[in-house]
Amino acid sequence: MNDTIEVVDLHTGTLQLTPEEHAMLQGDKGPAVQEAIRFQIEVGSFFGARRFVPITHAHVMGDIEVMGDGGLQHLRSMGDQHARCVVPTSSNAQCMHFHDDARLRQDVDEGAKEREILARYKTMRIAPTDSCIPYQQVYQPKLGEHVAWGDTGTVIYANSVLGARTNFEAGKASFAAALTGRTPAYGFHLDEARAGSLLVDLRAPMRDPADWGALGKLVGHPNQDYFAVPVFDGLGRMPSSDELKHLGASLASYGSMAMFHMVGVTPEAKTREAAFQGRAPRETMVITGADIQAVYDSYRYVEGGANIVVFSGPQLSLFEMQDLAERFEGRRVAPGMAAVVTTNHMVHSDAKRLGYVDTLEKAGVTILQGVCFYILQRLSQIREENGWTNLISNSGKLVNTITAHRFNTVLRRTDDCVDIACTGTLA
Amino acid sequence: MTTIHVKRAWGKPVRAQALVMREGFSPRYDLDRWNGVISRIGHSAEGESIRDRVLIIPTSKGGVAGGWAFFDLLNKGIAPKALVFGKLNPVMVQGAVLAGLPIMEGWDQDLLALVRTGDEVHLDPSARTLRFTPNPP
Repeated sequence: MNDTIEVVDLHTGTLQLTPEEHAMLQGDKGPAVQEAIRFQIEVGSFFGARRFVPITHAHVMGDIEVMGDGGLQHLRSMGDQHARCVVPTSSNAQCMHFHDDARLRQDVDEGAKEREILARYKTMRIAPTDSCIPYQQVYQPKLGEHVAWGDTGTVIYANSVLGARTNFEAGKASFAAALTGRTPAYGFHLDEARAGSLLVDLRAPMRDPADWGALGKLVGHPNQDYFAVPVFDGLGRMPSSDELKHLGASLASYGSMAMFHMVGVTPEAKTREAAFQGRAPRETMVITGADIQAVYDSYRYVEGGANIVVFSGPQLSLFEMQDLAERFEGRRVAPGMAAVVTTNHMVHSDAKRLGYVDTLEKAGVTILQGVCFYILQRLSQIREENGWTNLISNSGKLVNTITAHRFNTVLRRTDDCVDIACTGTLA
Repeated sequence: MTTIHVKRAWGKPVRAQALVMREGFSPRYDLDRWNGVISRIGHSAEGESIRDRVLIIPTSKGGVAGGWAFFDLLNKGIAPKALVFGKLNPVMVQGAVLAGLPIMEGWDQDLLALVRTGDEVHLDPSARTLRFTPNPP
């Protein structure tokens, strides 16, 4: 007979717990939930959170490339503890493409581990949507709705465009939230963090996704701060979901930012005063067309080697697939060039049905499903094997995030990207 | 001995050599996560190993990768000893807590001007202090 008494750690940090949360901490809902809420208390206390808020949806991020064997073991341990998500939960873009393009060879062993991760997701009640754009297909939280999303591009879109409330919930954090159905109330769950801090007087004609990425770089790079909230004013028209997606992804990437406002466009910015919650901007920036052009001019090609054009980061929406199919219709990727698109299974399925996939593939474009290009497993080796030197993209985010793999990245507008892919001439 | 006070901190005390960065850091954008060496072309610490060092970083960049990456680095035996940020995002805290790495944010003196790569620094998160012997001017 085991006569030892288990010492239960009831450390609650800065948080005041409800009876239900106390029960979780005591282990009444099983060891997986207990471990999850302990983790959340540690993180929440770092930021001085006073309470938890219930969430309606979680979006988890985890693939074998970033989790490694240690992360996979952690996931197995959660499974052994019968971890089950208590709110609807989706998964982010993964790292294994399972495509037969010989130029993009990935490790078979790592592929098996990735399949195990995806199988474990299903057991845990996570829908493996493999999407970094859940806000365009999977789930659209409403104004004031609290969620826990584990991808920066999704977080900034949720906070800014939808008026929902989430912090960056990375790695274990989004899983923990899915298991407890709540998250510590700090940062962008609270009204005060959502006030604008920086005014951007936008005087540039924005005509391409790459322009929005360039804008995100101009604002994000010199203001790297999770708690900075830029307020854009002056566009004079209603931007599309895809345009705001590229702006948000770029701001999150260059500036580590989790929220922006756009006056007359986003729900918490009916007026400039509302966006700033009545306070004065800390700083004002003016962005003109010349500033956007200067971003393009700042990139330099490196001589020698082969080159690749990538449309990814975030994954393409159905309408971006349609647009790209129209641009590639009747054209052909030039010999020695590579052109790659990434999207998720939902978009791919419809794009296939509607003929966009066939048009792109006929033009020699490789379409990868369920992944984002910069997180591909074995990417540095893939670059070396193909001798890829310059990576050209219309994604402001991608040309920033992929640099650890030592590509020379160049941001170009979509038309230029298609021309470069089809002529092989760098411009 | 100079004492720096920080705004927020988590973890156990640790003593190790500093690796000072002049710009933001993300494990995904800037690091070769298979050998622990900063690989981004042109990064101020390009070519430096993060293994067993206290990383002193002005800002965090991106990116959710840190949520898993520090745990993965620990599993591979190439993790840093601790993270000290001027400004951070929650990813770094979430990743540090999972990996058990001490983490601090917000310094009351210009740490980047005072500490050099290779200096030994002593972190006491419960006291929210970082101590080191200053370099001669």
